Amino acid sequence: MRSLLAIEWLKIKRYRTFWILVGFFAVLLPLWNYEVANGMINMGKNSINLLSQAYNFPEVWGNLGFWASIFIVFLSILVIILTTNEFSFRTHRQNIIDGWSRLQFYHAKVGMVLLLSVLATLYLFILGVIFGLLNGGSPVDIFERFEQVGYFFLLSVDYLGFALLISILIKRSGLSIGMFLLYALIVESILKGILNWSFDTASPGNYLPLQSSDELLPFPFIRMAQQMISKETISMWPYVIVTIIWCSIYYFAGRRILLRRDW
Amino acid sequence: METILSINGISKSYGPIQALKNVSFSVPEGCVFGILGPNGSGKTTLLGTILNVLKADAGSYQWFEGMQHDVARRHIGSLLETPNFYHYMSAMDNLEINASIKQRGHDDKLRVLEKVDLLQRKDSKFQTYSLGMKQRLAIGAALLGQPKVLVFDEPTNGLDPAGIAEIREMIRMLNKEGITIIMASHLLDEVEKVCTHVAILKKGDLLLSGPVEEVLQSEDQVEVKAADMPALQNVLNNMPGIIKTNLVNNVLLLSCNETLTTQNINEYCAAKGIILSHLLLRKKSLETKFMELTNN
Repeated sequence: MRSLLAIEWLKIKRYRTFWILVGFFAVLLPLWNYEVANGMINMGKNSINLLSQAYNFPEVWGNLGFWASIFIVFLSILVIILTTNEFSFRTHRQNIIDGWSRLQFYHAKVGMVLLLSVLATLYLFILGVIFGLLNGGSPVDIFERFEQVGYFFLLSVDYLGFALLISILIKRSGLSIGMFLLYALIVESILKGILNWSFDTASPGNYLPLQSSDELLPFPFIRMAQQMISKETISMWPYVIVTIIWCSIYYFAGRRILLRRDW
Repeated sequence: METILSINGISKSYGPIQALKNVSFSVPEGCVFGILGPNGSGKTTLLGTILNVLKADAGSYQWFEGMQHDVARRHIGSLLETPNFYHYMSAMDNLEINASIKQRGHDDKLRVLEKVDLLQRKDSKFQTYSLGMKQRLAIGAALLGQPKVLVFDEPTNGLDPAGIAEIREMIRMLNKEGITIIMASHLLDEVEKVCTHVAILKKGDLLLSGPVEEVLQSEDQVEVKAADMPALQNVLNNMPGIIKTNLVNNVLLLSCNETLTTQNINEYCAAKGIILSHLLLRKKSLETKFMELTNN
């Protein structure tokens, strides 16, 4: 795996688009949160603000995690561009001709998804510590409700893995990005609405591919409201498990497609 | 002598179109093996299959008498259809990726760039290259790490006449160094000039394969005429050394053994009491031979 990732690194290190998209994620995420924390961005009027300004421990993890779950779209688009580039330059063929197996080609991309997720999670952790400490948190409390950092890792693998599968299916960059955004922003919300409306209590719509991990890091206000209504804490395990199942489905579907079809 | 590649009964179809029909042949070490056929005959499909970018429906192939396919490909330099490189990277950086996957040739980049005359442009981005330069870079990438076998699909595509001559000369030189070369071409002339062996494909069927001098052997034809044509044909049908006679437009065409000369024919007819009014030796062109093989 290390040699596969080393070669992926050779492919992207001089690619300007890569740095721009990573830069968007790395710069906009803290900037946005800084403005939310200081009330420069708010939802509501007068003294009402639906955005949580709590950036102390442990609230910082839920807050940062939620916003990162939106900014992850930059990295998803990055994964789509890097994968569809291979198809449009036909370098996916060249990689095979030069001696990679099809599975190695695939695992290089899967490895990139995992590594990007690890790095994004690590970055989220560093940002969280800085925000928490700046807002008067104590270093002792850093690891309180820390599982939300893990949730972000799962969410990232879910989004990037989904983006990888879409790219393998569609192969063309513009169309893949369009379909990804269409699904992530609109179609899934529609499906979720229909499903949850028809099955009243079970909320199956919450278990759709991207929604299952979105449920792990909900909009902080909704989370507060939920906690006020029901006194028991809501178990996240079903969403954790379903997210992992979806990620496995992406992996095996992509693998099957790549091993079977002509390149 | 080692067999570099053996192909056993490969078939492949794209929907209703059968691109390859049960194709088998083998490529001996040290030859220049031409896969010849008109456009759409299945040449590229065949090369794609043996390099694992296409999946055959049936059949199998073996490189180096059974080496694992992925490992084998690292010892093969290939150029398939179009040059495939990362557009935003320089020639040097692209070759670095090729070398990393091949796990060889890291210190060979400058040599191959010099060989294909791109040393001056080694740090320019691939997207700034002209078509001919892209093609030359692809050939350079194939040469990286001095592979034992080269697979070229239409290697002279997109090159100017000087470039074409250069590539052909290079193929001959590489072959002299002991490298086995497998190349697809629709140009008979090209195959005849550089290949030692040939396989002829037509609409997915393997028509013939073997050494060039056997497959593309150009048999001579003799034209004869006399006052009584039926009698002439009758007599010559019985002459030893004549394989076939064919009456076309009141001229009798003879396919003969190599040993037979026009003088023999003239003497034979005279002895049988027929005076020839026309006797002509015609060298059959390879072009005609190729058309004969691929049409009908």
